[in-house]
Amino acid sequence: MFTIRCPYCGERDQSEFSNGGEAHVTRPKDPEQISDREWSEYVFIRANPKGIYYERWVHTHGCKKWFNAVRNTSTDEILKVYKIGETPPPLKEFKNTIKTPSGEPDVGSGNFSVKKP
Amino acid sequence: MTESKIYFKFDGKKYAGNEGDTIAAALLRNNVRLIGRSFKYHRPRGIYTCGIEEPNALVQIINEHNEPNVRATVKKIYEGMIVKSQNRWPSLKTDLGSINNILSPIFSAGFYYKTFMGPKGFWKNVYEPLIRRTAGLGKPPKEFKSKSIHQHHNVDVIIVGGGLSGLLAARKFAGTNYDVLLVEREDAFGGILKNANKIKSINDQPTDEWLEKTERLIRNSNNIKILKNTLVTTYNFSDHLIALEDKNVGKPQDNEKPELVLHKIRTKHTILANGHIERFITFRNNDLPGVMLAASFEKYLNRYSVVPDESPVIFTNNSSTFSLLKSLTDLGHRPKAYVDIRDQKNIEKETLELLEKFSIPFYPKSEVEGCEGQKEVKKVSIRTKKNKISKIKTSMLCVSGGFNPDIHLFTQSKGLLKWDKDHLTFKPDRIFQKTITLGSVSGNFSYEKLLVEVEKKLSEFEGLNELEVKFELNGSEKFQIKELWETKHEKKSIWSKSFIDLQNDVTTKDLRQAVNEGFNRIEHLKRFTTNSMGTDQGKISSINALGIVSKILKKDISEVGTTTYRPPYSPVNFSAIAGRSTYEFYDPERKTPLHSWHVKQNAVFENVGQWKRPWYFKKSEDETMHQAVQREAEQVRKTAGILDGSTLGKIEIKGKDALTFVNLMYTNSFTKMKPKTGRYALMLGEDGMVKDDGIVCKINDQHFIVTTTTGNAASVLAHMEEYSQTEWPNLNVYMNSITEQFATFNLSGPKSRVIMSRVFNDIDFSNDQFPFMSFNNFKYLDTEIRILRASFTGELGYEIYVPPSHALKLWQRFFISSRDFDLVPYGTETMHLLRAEKGYIIVGQDTDGTVTPLDLNLNWMIGKKKKDFIGKRSLTRTDIVRENRKQLVGLVPVDKTLGIEEGQHVIEHKDLSLPIKDPVDMLGHVTSSYFSPNLNHSVAMALIRGGKRKIGSRLFVSTENLNTIAVEVVEPNFIDPKNERMML
Ligand SMILES: [Zn+2]
Repeated sequence: MFTIRCPYCGERDQSEFSNGGEAHVTRPKDPEQISDREWSEYVFIRANPKGIYYERWVHTHGCKKWFNAVRNTSTDEILKVYKIGETPPPLKEFKNTIKTPSGEPDVGSGNFSVKKP
Repeated sequence: MTESKIYFKFDGKKYAGNEGDTIAAALLRNNVRLIGRSFKYHRPRGIYTCGIEEPNALVQIINEHNEPNVRATVKKIYEGMIVKSQNRWPSLKTDLGSINNILSPIFSAGFYYKTFMGPKGFWKNVYEPLIRRTAGLGKPPKEFKSKSIHQHHNVDVIIVGGGLSGLLAARKFAGTNYDVLLVEREDAFGGILKNANKIKSINDQPTDEWLEKTERLIRNSNNIKILKNTLVTTYNFSDHLIALEDKNVGKPQDNEKPELVLHKIRTKHTILANGHIERFITFRNNDLPGVMLAASFEKYLNRYSVVPDESPVIFTNNSSTFSLLKSLTDLGHRPKAYVDIRDQKNIEKETLELLEKFSIPFYPKSEVEGCEGQKEVKKVSIRTKKNKISKIKTSMLCVSGGFNPDIHLFTQSKGLLKWDKDHLTFKPDRIFQKTITLGSVSGNFSYEKLLVEVEKKLSEFEGLNELEVKFELNGSEKFQIKELWETKHEKKSIWSKSFIDLQNDVTTKDLRQAVNEGFNRIEHLKRFTTNSMGTDQGKISSINALGIVSKILKKDISEVGTTTYRPPYSPVNFSAIAGRSTYEFYDPERKTPLHSWHVKQNAVFENVGQWKRPWYFKKSEDETMHQAVQREAEQVRKTAGILDGSTLGKIEIKGKDALTFVNLMYTNSFTKMKPKTGRYALMLGEDGMVKDDGIVCKINDQHFIVTTTTGNAASVLAHMEEYSQTEWPNLNVYMNSITEQFATFNLSGPKSRVIMSRVFNDIDFSNDQFPFMSFNNFKYLDTEIRILRASFTGELGYEIYVPPSHALKLWQRFFISSRDFDLVPYGTETMHLLRAEKGYIIVGQDTDGTVTPLDLNLNWMIGKKKKDFIGKRSLTRTDIVRENRKQLVGLVPVDKTLGIEEGQHVIEHKDLSLPIKDPVDMLGHVTSSYFSPNLNHSVAMALIRGGKRKIGSRLFVSTENLNTIAVEVVEPNFIDPKNERMML
């Protein structure tokens, strides 16, 4: 539960928005010319990182505009929003963001409330 | 203060309490100790604490729609309140369920998992009803309409807790530019100042005076909002907190006003000043009524002026009980004995002085081994430093096992803890959000250091006030504790139990057994034993459990770690979560402009999304649904019928590139389509699966109107928006929902042309002037209507789009103009039947997101020459073109008197015998099935593997009673395969 800044309307409650999955998955220009495998990758395969994720959001109960956001999936913190068509901010801009609450490995889950001695 | 008495009932008996009393305080005032029966063993239980941490004293409030599991230590009494004890039968004093106590060996750790494995059917018929009757908490509340509301806050700072630390913080923020929310769970500020006898004065004033002044100052500042009787239950990611406010504290419920407010708070900084919780020590029969936590006992003295007992035995492992000793002796009471696990030389001077002054029997380096008594404590058994057992008669035992910072919210926020060796507890270490902890929750139990802590931790804020505070204490504030989690039983019997979780009846024996059975990880152990899984979440006991387990495992307690703290901190009423979103406010109801007419004509309604649609019309009181549908369907094909199609989604698409866009969205080609014509069209997802269908009407290349299925109207528009904004932002196109701008009538049947000509006598409906799938706009009275010739029944048909303002009049005119034809209004069920007779699909019924146009024999709808449309490339994927996919076919029963059931399996063989030796190969399932009055037998559609090749063969359909019926596989087009009727 958090607020999201719509680049058109400003900061609004998360419940006004819908998530649209990974951003910058480009639809192949000429689908007929590519292999089944390439097409399937476009249709079905999405990244699922723990950490920085570029994704699409739409202000469903607002201006209905789509936009892109950079979210840290381990903290749910939205680090940046930008309009469709704008250049995505480089990954290194978000390098120092804390990865997980308890400093466990980058991959996998964990829920340790006590600091490792 | 005590002049006005408040009367309430507990288990049928009337008691008097004082204003401001909790149920527990009032019952203690009346010497009532026995409050309830325990969860599993039905042991007698009393009041253990004086607050939210209470594990035992849960009651049911009968006059508040039976609200169950209310903490007697929190809920305040009011005149006429009716309270009942829980989990007892037939009465609290003689509870038959206590036989479980004797059967306790079978109720040990993991008994749910071990005991109820079989035989088959026993769970549902025997075990579950039995457990539900004997185990558990209160009974569910009666149905009621919640008046609870939600409230939102956006603040700079939230201060959780209006105790000493919270007030000091608020004092610093008072009158500054920060927007502050101060939340206190009790009805008064003060916390420890009101509960205990630790601070003598502040700034040379009595603490009450300082409190009053401080509160006034905070109230008068215009930047601090105060919420009392409000419990912060949740600390989510992204600085989002949830708090529950009780609006009716000490008052009967007012049915006109909200009883609870759920506050949703967004903040920039969170100051946690929510204090600490005292923990117990585990010993034999530590659950008996009369055992109470020491600080809670003191709270009853100081806050409620109730003396639960004038001469209790005090049992401690730390220095904090000095405060209780002082409070009691100040009131002129003399404890029966003071039992301290610590060596005399470690016990603080002021305690020893008091003990001597009042000649209180003193047992240093001793421990309470157990309690005796049937329904309450009668004797306390002490193991003295010489390892002798000494028994003291008493009716109350006050226990202190040390203090835990109330870290629940802090860990919810994902902050990390560390072990504090001085206080033997976990305290906050690394923060994960913008969290500041102040006072005892941060592990700081010193008043002297508190001022330094507040100044230091709030130094990041600018322009705060200076604090001028000076404390004078009662006794020294040096804290000293000796580790003790449990004491050893002297006596073994079935009755002798040491409880580690009072609410869930978990004993220390259960912990040992669980570890022995291999559950050596704390999270597993918790679930196996159900330790700390009650509604109190083990607030007074969970650290003791860690202590005991760490000893068994011979590990450091910080290595054992804690279980995960999850919201809410304390149970939140469903009525508060639901708020006003119940009953008629749960979901909007959408009604068509003809709704009132349908009601008058005895329509039975069906919910389609939020819409209320006529399902069928009852012609007479005793007409069944089947009769009505058969009558309607027959009449449509005989003369004509009319359907309210207003709920159909309608989207207007405009723009220079509208044609290109529509060509991309739908499978069909619209390029060569003439203006003022429509086309049945399919919409796919990128995966090639059918997403929606509808009619695309072309006004010109820059202007289209498309219809969608009723349920998909919003998602189709969203799908179009998504592609136009993200994939093809270069296309000049915009779209808008116009669903509500038109009522839609679907007129259908051989007589529909005559009827149209009568209603609109200036329009030429001949085939030449008005061919199939053409449309036009016409003036009608002072407005404009659109008529499209289309058919979803296979009959000659027209769709009329009319503004809602004129809908009812025009609808009635249809009936007036067609009395001689018995024009029949029909509902959605008849519509489904009629389209099934024609083999037309319903998206979502005959398709389920795994069905392509090829599977539906709709290849003709695919614009193969189009370079691209959404999903086109997927249609040539190897999996999509493989032969054995499930394909749509028609089914007709061989025995024409039989009916086919929707959802049944289609199989190759006749036999469905039991027991099944070989799995029966399911070819697919029946998607639609109706009894056709026009063919006088059942017709069905099914998706079956390799269906197209099976046309002409015989298969079987399973039935509810494990029989099968033989069916012929046919083309899914049962009536008028040449489509002559709709071209009439
Ligand atoms: Zn917006």
